[in-house]
This record gives sequence, structure tokens and C-alpha cells, in this order.
Amino acid sequence: MRPVSDNLGLAQLSDHLLIIAVVIYSLAMLAYAGDFAYGRRRAAATAAGKTARPVPELAGVGASSGAGTPETPETPETPETPETPSAAVPPATAGPAAGGAERLGPLIRGAIGLTYLGLAVHLAGVVTRGVAVHRVPWGDMYEFVTALTCVTVVFFVALMMRYRAWHLGVFVMGAVVAALGLAQTVIYTPAGPLVPALKSYWLAIHVAAMTLSVGIFFVAAVLGVVYLFTERYTRRVAAGRSPANHGIMRRLPGAEELDRLTYRTVVFGFPVWTFGIIAGAIWADQAWGRYWGWDPVETWAFITWVVYACFLHARATAGWRGRRAAYIQLIGFACLLFNVLVVQTFVTGLHSYSGLG
Amino acid sequence: MTDVRAPQAGSGNAPAGPAAPAGETDTPPARPEPGAFGVVAWARWGWRQLTSMRIALVLLFLLALGSVPGSLLPQQGVDPAAVQQYYTAHPALAPFLNALGLFNVFGAPWFAAIYLLLFISLAGCVLPRTFRLARSARALPPQAPRHLSRLPNSVRYETDMTAGDASAAAAALLSRRHFRLNQGEGWLSAEKGYRREVGNLLFHIALMGVLVSVGVGGLFGYKADRLLVEGTSFADTVTDLDAYHPGHFVSPADLAPFSLTLDKFSASYIASGPDRNQPASFDAHLSYTAQPGGPVRSYNLQVNHPLSVDSTKVYLIGHGYAPVFRVTDGRGKVVYDQATPFLPADQSTYLSEGVVKAPDAKPQQLGFAGVFLPTAVDVNGQLQSAFPAAYEPAVSMIPYAGNLGLNSGVAQSVYQLNTGAMHRLATSAQVLAPGQSMKLPDGAGTLTFTGYRQWISIQVTYDPGQVPALISGIVALIGLVLSFLVRRRRIFVRAYRGDSGRTVVDVGGLARSDVGGGFEAEFAELAADLRSVHDGADSGAGRPPDAAAPGEAGPRAAPAGGDDSQPAPVTVTTPGHGDHDSSPRSEETG
Repeated sequence: MRPVSDNLGLAQLSDHLLIIAVVIYSLAMLAYAGDFAYGRRRAAATAAGKTARPVPELAGVGASSGAGTPETPETPETPETPETPSAAVPPATAGPAAGGAERLGPLIRGAIGLTYLGLAVHLAGVVTRGVAVHRVPWGDMYEFVTALTCVTVVFFVALMMRYRAWHLGVFVMGAVVAALGLAQTVIYTPAGPLVPALKSYWLAIHVAAMTLSVGIFFVAAVLGVVYLFTERYTRRVAAGRSPANHGIMRRLPGAEELDRLTYRTVVFGFPVWTFGIIAGAIWADQAWGRYWGWDPVETWAFITWVVYACFLHARATAGWRGRRAAYIQLIGFACLLFNVLVVQTFVTGLHSYSGLG
Repeated sequence: MTDVRAPQAGSGNAPAGPAAPAGETDTPPARPEPGAFGVVAWARWGWRQLTSMRIALVLLFLLALGSVPGSLLPQQGVDPAAVQQYYTAHPALAPFLNALGLFNVFGAPWFAAIYLLLFISLAGCVLPRTFRLARSARALPPQAPRHLSRLPNSVRYETDMTAGDASAAAAALLSRRHFRLNQGEGWLSAEKGYRREVGNLLFHIALMGVLVSVGVGGLFGYKADRLLVEGTSFADTVTDLDAYHPGHFVSPADLAPFSLTLDKFSASYIASGPDRNQPASFDAHLSYTAQPGGPVRSYNLQVNHPLSVDSTKVYLIGHGYAPVFRVTDGRGKVVYDQATPFLPADQSTYLSEGVVKAPDAKPQQLGFAGVFLPTAVDVNGQLQSAFPAAYEPAVSMIPYAGNLGLNSGVAQSVYQLNTGAMHRLATSAQVLAPGQSMKLPDGAGTLTFTGYRQWISIQVTYDPGQVPALISGIVALIGLVLSFLVRRRRIFVRAYRGDSGRTVVDVGGLARSDVGGGFEAEFAELAADLRSVHDGADSGAGRPPDAAAPGEAGPRAAPAGGDDSQPAPVTVTTPGHGDHDSSPRSEETG
């Protein structure tokens, strides 16, 4: 046996870092949510809180993201929101001091700061795990989920920096906290070495591509869900069944923008997924003697690929755009989740490396 | 799969069978009146249906849906034993599922029907598009629209240049940026990004390449298994292989003429911690010759490190223990003396099961069934294996005497004892350490456990479709990335004398596909550059305006980095913020 012992101290540090990351993400999520509830409440807003009354400043419902929205001076108030020292945005600097086109409330800026901090801790947790086990930190299911959620947050941050739709943070953070929480409770696996079948540089390539694309598809799925709500709301407003300028909807990007954002996210993830499948096929050829053998996990990777291809095509087909395409995208993500959480764990096949068996 | 641009029509994404010219809307083709049009019209209607995006979408869905049972039900090709188990567990349901081909989904006719229809649909869409692309590679962009301000992106400014000079300067700038130009009286059209359609077509054609490669591999390749005990050899011939699955066009003479010997196999396992008993490494030391009489080479066969002989590959796919037994019959004659492969029954402890059959034993045939324990430990009187490595090897065998039934005509597994015509010689199994013997009652003979060897199971594979499939896959990926990264866009310029006497320049832009977004920024930058040229303020870009003669610009390759989005330095009118994606003229991926 190779005398490579795992560094248990580092592995423990990694576990702790990841738990801290979940806590910070949770706080970030609360801060994002708090921004929905209190962030831009006008002085005249009623104590009803959650749904601010219609503000007549926006013409089109959800027509714009947070950026460039004409707004009234903010009332920085953060009484009940859970603040940590890391949310180092003192209320005093809020409002006019921010200036420029980008005027974000103190809560949302705190949330963004927490997101960055959480990401740093998360990243450190993933890296220390890798150092502890002397290999890439995506060798079992637990590591896979912690790494892919890290990708999700990185991608979310990149997306939000570019499109300035920080208000989506509550949904992304919620999903990430749920996934990481699941990783730490249900599918936690202590650090350990790899079985011979996994000892290949293709582990770094194939699983990295899969981790990356799943992380990206994760963002797309969150965007898709938000899109469906926004789209429904837009239709209800058009039908006169919902009041315009709903407090939450007002801050979200419009349905069309969300649709576009979702599409671009999938467009980013799809080639990575394709690459991951190809890399997996090359590895399968080396390890199992065939590049494709309809192993359950291979089959579900194929199904996922086909469903996302459906989404890309549906979006280009009249009558399938919009809601239907969004549902297809979510079906694709459901296939992906099913593959990761059910097939790899409970269906006997060659990919049974989850470490849960 | 059809995602053809509709150049000037009001609707994008037309289905385009050969009979459906570009520009048609995506409504389903009209059904011909029965009898009125005859077979040709119906065939044409059917073809259009098949090559329409709707049908392609439905087929894609069916493909995904059809794969589901293939992953959830045991498959004949992957795990035949599991299929048998399923039959036993669900005797009523299994024949029904089998009739539907659900135990062999990926070889079932209905599954083949789905993917063949899909690929016909794909071909019917992609081939006409390829021809169209080839034609358009020589065509010029269309004339600029009259009112550029109606385009999704437009800007208007005035300049002191004459209208002619302004047009020429714009043409020079756009030509330098590798746009393809078309010019007329006071207008200029420029187009760029043909690689998008190239990428899209490449992707779809490469997918067909993958299917063809898989087919070629299935017809001209073969796959076989062989169990090999330490110290033994085998030659890659049909008779010497355990399970031989040749493709339709493979003859026994096509097998690569190599032979190999397993010199030694070693496995190591994790001895402590939560992963205890898990394998850590496998090494199978082989010596092989590529041709009879060729030089003997050695190779360390490992998981993830197959042996390549010519284009045939040898894989390590399993291993186990083969205890060596010697059987002496009632006459005192040695009737059996060999290593006997036992099959692992427990992957974590490598407790293995197997049988010994001595048909030559007299007066009665002898048989033994039992287990091999690599690390035997006694747990409350129960013999168990504690570890997969052979630290305390032992066997526990039950002897039988009688008729082994080998001549009954019914094929028997070498791993199972048919005890129907035999009687048990001992009530309980006897545990033997290496070197120990058990005497059978009534002088029926002796069984000696002399030691053990290890065996490996290898897979021999020849797949001529492998490399083509890989190349197709990589081409598909390149095509995919190309079609997502590159946007096809047109820039129009109109320069004319305004009311004030100065020259008015209208610049309009249209992205026909902008998956990644960012056309607005590109347009804004381009418009700013045009303006600075027209203002005469830009010296760097200011080459003589006559650099590009009208109509001379042919197809050019744009630089790789030409599609990056840049920040927008000037204000531009972009109605409906980012409408380019949903604009009726936009084009999406297929």
C-alpha cells in the first residue's frame, strides 16, 4: 500500500471552513431577503413591510434591474436583520455616498460583502480538503457537491457583476445553502483516498468539467425558477389580476431579461457539459474498455444533454419560447439532480463512487 | 434541428426542408388534400414534417424518454445476471417488459427508430443549410434599409465630409474590421460572423459523425473476455477467449495475433480507517508478444492503464483468487491438480465461492463446493474473511460423490456444482489451511489444498469507430463553441446631405444572432469609431478612404478576438434594451 496518509487536521479544518461558509451564506441570504423587505422602503411605506406599496416611479413592471433605477433617497435601517461584523458596510456610508449609477442599499451591499466572504471561506474549505487528501477535491459525492456549489457562487458573482442583478442573490444563496447543508448532513463523507478506478488524471479533467457545468446549470435553474414566477406575475399584471410594482418583483430583472440571462447561462454550461461527457468517454475507454456503455450514469448524462439540447432548440422555435422552454430547462436540471443524487448513489453501476454505499 | 435564418422575412426560425425555402414561417406545413396531390405531395408533406423543428424537438424528447428505462431496468448487454434476477423477482412483469425490448433498450428497434428518424431529420435540415451557407459565402449583404433608425441599434450624427467621402471612409473602416461589404448610392451594408452558421452546421454534422462511428465500431469491432490465472497464457484467438462478441463483419482471422502471459498479480488494500478493505492498487505484470515469434515484452497492466497491441486494447477488469487443489480418488490416483478460479462473493472481504469437479475419480465422480477466505478468522465459531488480501488463506469445502452430470448434454457452469445426482460425503464443511488435506469417508479419496494463485479477468477490445467518434466529438464541441461565441451581425451606413447643408450619417446595426449578448456594446464602439473617422479626429485609423474599392471585399476571416464585447463609450439608441435576442430577425442555435 502506498503510504500516503491523509492529513486529518487539514481535513477537519476543511469541514469547519465549509460549515462556516454555510453560516455566512445563510446570513447573506437573510441580508438579500432583508433588502427585499426593508431595503428601499420609502419613508411613507406602511408597517405592512413585506410588500411595499406601489411606487409610481417605474413605468414598466420589472422592466429594469436594480441598476439605473431612479430612486428616492434610502432610509438606511437595519434593525432586525442579522448583521455580522463582516457585513462591514456601516449604514452611514449608504445612500448618496455610493453615488453613480449603481446605488445599492446598505443591506444589499452587506449581502454582497457576505457573499464574497462566504465564497472565500468556501473556496478555502474546498482547497484544504484537496490538500488534506493529496488530490483534486472532487473524488466523492460530498466533495463534488461542495465544489460545484463553489462554482455556482463564483458564476453567480460573475453574472451579477456583469448584469447587476444582485437581487437574485436571495434565490442563489438559498439554493446554495440548501445544497451545502445537504452535503454536510446527508452525504457527508470523511476525507479518504481513492479507489484504483479513480486514480487517473481524467478525474481532474472529467469531474472538473462536470462540477463546473453542474454549478453553472445550478445558476440557470435558479434563474429559470425566478423567471417563471416573474413571467407569471407579468401576465397577471397584464390581466389586471395583480397590482403592478409588487415590492419584490419590482427589484427583480424583468421576465425577458431573466429569460435571456437563463439562456446565456445554459449556453455557457452546455459546451462544458458536452466536454465533460467527451472527457468521461475517453476515461471510460481507458478504465472500462469502452467509451460508451450505457452505464446508468452515462445514460443520465446523455438524457440531461438531450434535454438541455431540447431547451436550446425550443428557445429557437415559435410556440416553445418562454415558459415552455423554461420548463424544459428545469426538467434538464431535474435529470441532472436525479443523476447526481439518486442514480450515482442507489443504482448499481460503474459510477458508484459516491462513498455512501 | 432546423433553425434557418429568414433573411428578410418577418419571422425567423423557419423550418427548411429542401422543399421549404428560407423565409417560411414556423407554422406547420399545410396538409395536402387527400387525393388531390397524390403521393408526391404527401411525401413532401411528410418530409417537411420530419425536418421541422417541432418534430425534431419531439424526437429529442423521445430519445431522452426512451433512455430512461435503459438506466433503471437491468440491461442484457450490461448485466445479464441482473436481468435473470429480475425475471425471478417479477415473473409476471418481466416477459412483458422483454417483449417491449426494455431489457435491451439501446438495441431495441423502437430506440433505433427514434435515433434514425432524428438523424434523418437532422440531415434533411443540415444539408440544405450547408448548401445555402456555401451560396451565401459568395453573396453580398443585402441593401441597407431606408430608415436605419428603425433598427434595434442606430445612431445619427453630422459631419463635414461630403456624403461620398463619408461612405468611403466608413467602408474603409469596416473593411479593415473584416466585414464583408456591399455598397450602393449613398448606402453601405456590412456583414460579419459567418462562422456562427459554420459552427452550428459543424456541430450537427459531427453528431452524425458520432452515430456513424458508433455504427462502424459495432460492425467491425469485437469484444471478448478472458480469465487468466497467474502463470498461464492465452492467445487472442476465438477458441481461447471466454466470451467473444464479434461485430457483424468480423471474421476470426481479423483478431490481432498477440498472446500474453500473466506473470504475477498483486493488489493492495487499505488496512485501516473508514475505507478499510477498499482496494488501493492493482498491478498485473504481463509478458506478451504482438505476433507469434515476435519479441517478448513486459507490461504492467493497471486499471486506467490498458495495454495497446496494434489497435487492440487489453483491459484489467477484475481479479480474484484461484485456490490450488489436488484430488486423489479411491484408487490413490491423482485425478485433479490445478488452480481453480473462485468468484468473489463479497467485494470487501473477497470471500470467494467456487467448485472443484473431478470427473475422472473412481469409483465415483467427486465434486467439492465451498469458499475461499483470503484472511480467515473465526468469529464465534463462524468462519469469515476479515480482509481482501491473502494473509490467512483458507478454504472450507463440502465433498460430494456421485454423478457430476457432465455428460447429460446440458451445459454447466464451471462455478456451480449440480448436486442432483450426488450425495454429500460430510455433514459439515471442513476448513483447510494451505498444505492441509481432508480425507473423504469410506476411502473415497483425499482433497488437498496446496496453495493459491490469483487470477485476473481481462477484456480484449477492438473498436475501429473509436478514433472517428473522438474526432467527431471534438469537432462537435468546437462547432458548438463557435456557434455560441460568434454573433452574426450587420452594420448599415447611410450618408446624405442634410437640411443644414452638412452631411448626415446614419449608422444602424442588427445582430442576427447574439447568444452571448454584447452586440450593443460592439455597435456602440463601432459607431464611435466611425464617428471619429468622420470627424477627422482619429489619426490612427485614418487610412486613405479609398483603401477598399466598392464591391471588392470578399469573404474574409475575422480575427479570433473580434467578437469580444467592449464597454460602450457613446450613447446609442437601443430601443427595448437588449431586444436583439427576441427580435423577429434574430436567429438562434439549432
